[in-house]
Amino acid sequence: MLLAFGNFTADPSINLQLLIGGLALGAIYAVVALGFVLVYKSTDVLNLAHGEFLMLGAYFALTFLISENLNFFLGVFVLLLVMLVFGLLVHYGIMRRMVGQGFFAIVLITLGIATIIRALLLIFYGPTERARLDLLPQGSFEVGGATVRHVDLIIFAVVAGCVLLFFLFFKYTRLGLHMRAVADDIEAAAAMGIDPDKVYAMTWAAAMVMAGVGGLLFGHVTGAIDRSIEAIGLRAFPAAVVGGLTSLGGSIVGGLVVGVIEQFANGHLGTKWREPVAFSVMFVVLLVRPTGLWGRKDLERV
Amino acid sequence: MTAVDNPVPQQEEAQTYRPSTLQRFLPFIIAAVVPFILGSTTENVNFWWKALITVVVLVVVARLAWKWTPRGELTHREDMRLWRTPSDRSWAAVTTFGLLVLPFILVSDFNPPMDFPWAIWSEVVNQVLIFAMGAAAFNLLVGYPGQISLAHVAFLALGTIVGAIVGVQWSGGNFWLALPAAAVAGAVVGAISGLPALRLKHLYLLLATFGFHFVMMLVWREYLQEYFGFVGIRFKGEHRPRITSWLHWLPGIDPGESGEFVIDTRFRWYWVIMPLTVASLLFMVNVVRTREGRAFAAVRDRDVSASLLGINVARSKLMAFAVSSAVVSMSGVLASFYSGARGEDSFDVQTVLDYAIIIVVGGFSSIQGAIFGSAFFLFLPEWFEWAREELWFVRDIDFLSKHHGSIDYAFKGFLVVIILMFKPDGLAGLWRDFKGWLGRRLARSNP
Repeated sequence: MLLAFGNFTADPSINLQLLIGGLALGAIYAVVALGFVLVYKSTDVLNLAHGEFLMLGAYFALTFLISENLNFFLGVFVLLLVMLVFGLLVHYGIMRRMVGQGFFAIVLITLGIATIIRALLLIFYGPTERARLDLLPQGSFEVGGATVRHVDLIIFAVVAGCVLLFFLFFKYTRLGLHMRAVADDIEAAAAMGIDPDKVYAMTWAAAMVMAGVGGLLFGHVTGAIDRSIEAIGLRAFPAAVVGGLTSLGGSIVGGLVVGVIEQFANGHLGTKWREPVAFSVMFVVLLVRPTGLWGRKDLERV
Repeated sequence: MTAVDNPVPQQEEAQTYRPSTLQRFLPFIIAAVVPFILGSTTENVNFWWKALITVVVLVVVARLAWKWTPRGELTHREDMRLWRTPSDRSWAAVTTFGLLVLPFILVSDFNPPMDFPWAIWSEVVNQVLIFAMGAAAFNLLVGYPGQISLAHVAFLALGTIVGAIVGVQWSGGNFWLALPAAAVAGAVVGAISGLPALRLKHLYLLLATFGFHFVMMLVWREYLQEYFGFVGIRFKGEHRPRITSWLHWLPGIDPGESGEFVIDTRFRWYWVIMPLTVASLLFMVNVVRTREGRAFAAVRDRDVSASLLGINVARSKLMAFAVSSAVVSMSGVLASFYSGARGEDSFDVQTVLDYAIIIVVGGFSSIQGAIFGSAFFLFLPEWFEWAREELWFVRDIDFLSKHHGSIDYAFKGFLVVIILMFKPDGLAGLWRDFKGWLGRRLARSNP
């Protein structure tokens, strides 16, 4: 390990490459973390199935963009539309009945949804892995001896755009205001004439659309599309928690920080250290600030 | 008008009934002795005779235990017993008898109609007992002090590591030493892994324990590669548990020609696994029904109020983590030695999900539910397998046989969702409903 840290200062271009790789990974984490944050912020549900939602998005992207060979923009539109319908289905079919249940029961029901999605994808797409998507520009350029892929820049731009969009949405639209009101106090919001049911449905739809975007982007940078890509959901947890589970901007910062740390652990200590290091960072942040860096603190009354 | 004309109705005197000591224990003695008579003397007896005798004895034992239960005004000591009511004592007697007679029935030669699977049952029953032990410990932690942990598979791995160190690598050690060693290691590491629970709650605690899972998986992989390479750990051959020679005089232990009594068949394993599972389940039941368990419940409901009541909240939480982890580690040792081999991917996130499915299906936060859940989880694939091959209306559907593994999984996922939506207390809740219905029926027929 000391040797590895000796390596740390030896070659600056390696570190630059790791930094760039980390930022690219962090951007993906930010997309996933945004999905967690959206759901957690307004419905108080910790959605452990988000990795599976993302995998669903990647497989649908395969279907619409590669197999059906639709025009890129039309294909993305159809993909996001289908994901939106799935989000509404998840809310009206399942999560709606779980409002007010215990916290762990809801976590477990998302695990149940995850199991179903995984099994159904295995049935309908088979166990063979597919080549990754190649619809976005594939080239790369060099900066100071390190390679930067165009895809990474696009992912970066999309994530920043999404966060800005959500920020404006929450701040300036009527539905965004409703969502914030419901997140703050569901009973008071309902008394003011806001329909929490509709707000929750919209939240799930938005999270699913984010998962569709994430699947489309992640499908471009993963090695191959198979059933193991749902692990990105678990690996993005530290990112979401470090940023704070109720903060949209926090998910970007958390994603980038965790991505860079993970990439450095990967480069200097070995692949197997990636997850333990990421989760240890999360652990330390939790011990110092139990709701993450920018999370909302709940008052507790006895 | 005097009080005499309008007497105050006398409060009905509760009839006190005390069975003699012999009567109190007799049903359990019958339940404990008859299986061995049945098993040792009736090797050539037809399966149906064994089944008939079993059912008759079950009914007799249940009836006697029901009848000879102390009633009326109980002393405090009697009131604190584990099996206090007639129904408790009946079920206990039936369970005792059932557990003891089960292996003898399972080894008997029997061909169920329509090729219904039978030979595999003894394997599945052993697995169920091992899984029930781990799942019950999971339920203890989640259900009573309300501490949510996803680190259970990490403790299975810890148990396996300790089992491998003590039972395989250390030449002086064996399986019997590995069990307590794993329990101690599990308790210590469990208490340490519970430390975040003093500061974190709910979802943050869940994530912190999940971090512990990943750290433990790193330890597991490093350990495996350092000492065993890619072939994994083998618990077979000379590492199998055996009964030492100075215990060979015990009835039923026949060392045979080799002079060693090795636990290698499913039947012999049953007699190792079953007592361990029953003992650890009883231990956990006793933990949750005594002072410690009431403290757990108070901590779950509101830890600030619990501390105002004089409960040491930190101690309760750490105690729960330690007890649960110790039992899980022990079940990890058992599972490793029983299955005989452990490799790099023996413990993954899917195993965490499997345990989650078991406790949801069985019934949240009930020790009983762990047994129902693991039985359901492990028998279901076997029954589905049978249905796909034998039932005429599904046999010819190619789709089912082609995707059998994933369809089983999809079914389990749907089941979890449906149970959580409509019957959150799971199979244990159904069982309670059934017992309530049976009790009302019996009360109506003989008041």
